[in-house]
Amino acid sequence: MIKAQKILILTALFLIATTMAFGVGYALFDEHQTLVGMGTLMATGFMEAAGGNMVSSFAALDSYGALAQEYGYEVHSHGHWGMLSLVLLILGLVFKQLALSEKQGLALAWLLALSTVLFPLGVLLQIGPAAALGKLLSVPASAGLILGLLIATWALLQKAD
Amino acid sequence: MTQTAHLDELREPVASDNQRLLVIGGLLMIASGMLFGDVFAMFVLHPNNARIGEAMYAASQLIPVGDADGILAEFMAIGGFLENRGTKVDTHSHIIHMGFIALLLAILQPWVALSDTARRRTAWLFVVSAMLMPPAIFAIYYVGLSFSPFEHIGWASILADLFGALLSLAVFIYFWGIWRYARGDADAAAEPAYLGRGNTASRALLVGGLLLLVIGYLYGAGYAALKETSVAPTEVDILKSIVTNAAASDQAALGADFSAFGEYQMYRAINRAVHTHINEMGILLLLMSFVQAFVHYADTTRLRWARCAVASGFALPAGIMLEIPYGIVGSVIADLAGFMMIVCLMAMLFGLLRHMGGTDMNAGGAA
Repeated sequence: MIKAQKILILTALFLIATTMAFGVGYALFDEHQTLVGMGTLMATGFMEAAGGNMVSSFAALDSYGALAQEYGYEVHSHGHWGMLSLVLLILGLVFKQLALSEKQGLALAWLLALSTVLFPLGVLLQIGPAAALGKLLSVPASAGLILGLLIATWALLQKAD
Repeated sequence: MTQTAHLDELREPVASDNQRLLVIGGLLMIASGMLFGDVFAMFVLHPNNARIGEAMYAASQLIPVGDADGILAEFMAIGGFLENRGTKVDTHSHIIHMGFIALLLAILQPWVALSDTARRRTAWLFVVSAMLMPPAIFAIYYVGLSFSPFEHIGWASILADLFGALLSLAVFIYFWGIWRYARGDADAAAEPAYLGRGNTASRALLVGGLLLLVIGYLYGAGYAALKETSVAPTEVDILKSIVTNAAASDQAALGADFSAFGEYQMYRAINRAVHTHINEMGILLLLMSFVQAFVHYADTTRLRWARCAVASGFALPAGIMLEIPYGIVGSVIADLAGFMMIVCLMAMLFGLLRHMGGTDMNAGGAA
């Protein structure tokens, strides 16, 4: 196992275990409450409209939208950490088949590992006060993921040829 | 075993009992997860979506008459439909992901620097928990809060979370084992030999899988960028229009709102499903490429199954995407592609079992 493989495989396993623990904690302490809250807010929007109170209705629907977006961010972070870690693991396993020098391989491994950690983290941080930082992280990290995968694909096909 | 890789496990991914448990368990989980997805899409997803739309329309009709209790009842029903759909989507995705992880853990086995007993127990812990968590998720909708000591979480959820925690523990144990291997006198040359042993079938799967992953990443990034910059009405905008037009009893405008709402939900669901399925099919093809050397068929037969898997991997997300312009035709293509992928997986599993049987017989003969 070369150094680049260690980076990819250990990062991936750590992230899989962590995102599983995150999923358990989220399901236990937040998800059900959030889903009930979303349903209640949407129903409130309709009921307030039925009572002729459109201001309260719109306020409830805005709160529903905010909560739904928060739910989306949380679920996407969990899912993306899990899926991207699988890709890291696979690339870690085939890393010796890439036509890259040791230095290039190490740089690619760090790019992929950091992007995999930071992209879902950036999405998660978009909830709450660090939203700007979250966007700042997620956009370059997603670009890093695409670039890293393209380089890995190219290097693998070069070697295979 | 401490810092030395298991030599047999470096030669093939189904050499030890631990690996066999993880590989067979993993393939069964993936195939059953896909079968579940096919059945769910055909019999639950589409009828359920229609019921949600109908209940929301019924709720909007109660706004002008001021029937708050009636509206609440409709939303209680919507909550049930959403839970029914959500738990089935989660069952489908979790069982497939656990299958993927099981296959990868099988390949990683020679690098897990733990005792044989610890490795065997961890493999069992992972496979049993992975097989029990999805049924627990599936049961959440049906068990509900019966006999639950908690306000929001029922017994099925508690069990699903328990199995999730055990899965996390199993992966942490493997992480610890590989960490020990990597920190010790790890032999840099110790590498599963079969990973580089390409044949035409494994190459077809490798190229197909990587292409799908690249497309999936680009699709996800493109969708996110489009969503950020789009000036189209959001879900909340449409909902506000619904309550406004319902309060004014403007049925024509309300019909247009519901049409927009349905279209919004459809685009969102299909785009997410396409992104997810492209990536999942990519990962699946890559995983299948690793074991081709041990699929005990003639070269032409093995290649045929590999090509069939690649074609199914591309056709499944394409079918989902075609649901936008062609509706049910796209669904049928996606379902057929999903079914074909299951058949390919089963064929490869049989090939692996033939290989294992041959290996065992040779070992028995030598003894």
